[in-house]
Amino acid sequence: MNPSLAPFSIYWQLPILIIVISLVYSATRFDQWGDILRESARWARNMGLFLAVIALVLYALAWWI
Amino acid sequence: MVNSEPFENPAPPQRRFSILAAVLSYLVPGLGQIYQGRVAKGILFMVCLYGMFFTGMAMGDWKNVYLPPMDLRARETTVASFPGALRFLAKVLPATILSRPHFMGQFWIGVAAWPAICQYNDMPLPLRDRFPVLHDFDRAPEDENVMNEYLRNSDKTPDLAWVYTVIAGVLNILVIYDALAGPAFGTKAPSGVDGSRPQQEVARA
Repeated sequence: MNPSLAPFSIYWQLPILIIVISLVYSATRFDQWGDILRESARWARNMGLFLAVIALVLYALAWWI
Repeated sequence: MVNSEPFENPAPPQRRFSILAAVLSYLVPGLGQIYQGRVAKGILFMVCLYGMFFTGMAMGDWKNVYLPPMDLRARETTVASFPGALRFLAKVLPATILSRPHFMGQFWIGVAAWPAICQYNDMPLPLRDRFPVLHDFDRAPEDENVMNEYLRNSDKTPDLAWVYTVIAGVLNILVIYDALAGPAFGTKAPSGVDGSRPQQEVARA
């Protein structure tokens, strides 16, 4: 691994990825910045919720087993 | 009485297909949008996608965008093993893409992935002494065992790294479409499609 990136946990990259992906995706849907930012926030929230639900299910399974 | 005067805020002109802009956006993400005058959006695409792609490459020690080498005989054998209809495709595409499918996503980032194709086809490269970075850019690892050992002894970062590069490439397909035909949901017209008042307003007047 690149030593300059070593101190960061890989989980810190998740919010960055979510923001960048939702921003680029939304910018290909709309032309106005207001629409882009609104759509981007909606996608980021939905992706975050989806991942949180999966994390919760996996945590519950790990705890149960 | 029906008012047929044009509305004050005319709808923006319909965007035509722009193949040149699409090609530019393929070569460098966002370049097509900049060419069309949508500069801020073009810069957003360029920064986000190149940022993601090169961060991914750096996280993987610059060893995750490549096509594994294959000698000519092995290439011919692979092409011959394809059914007739797909044989042309197998001739055009590098045969090793089957053993490195990541490149199918990475390819769409444009010129940044081309050195891998040059390396695969043994094309002339910048001299190692003068341009060592360019000479080795997108080069396949020389020893597969060393590469496997590197992946085994690393944390999950190299695995996440190639995901970055693939996501950047795949997102650029949407960017290319945006340059070709405009945003998927179009540009919102303030009133009627042709710039006149919407039907309901006309009826009320």
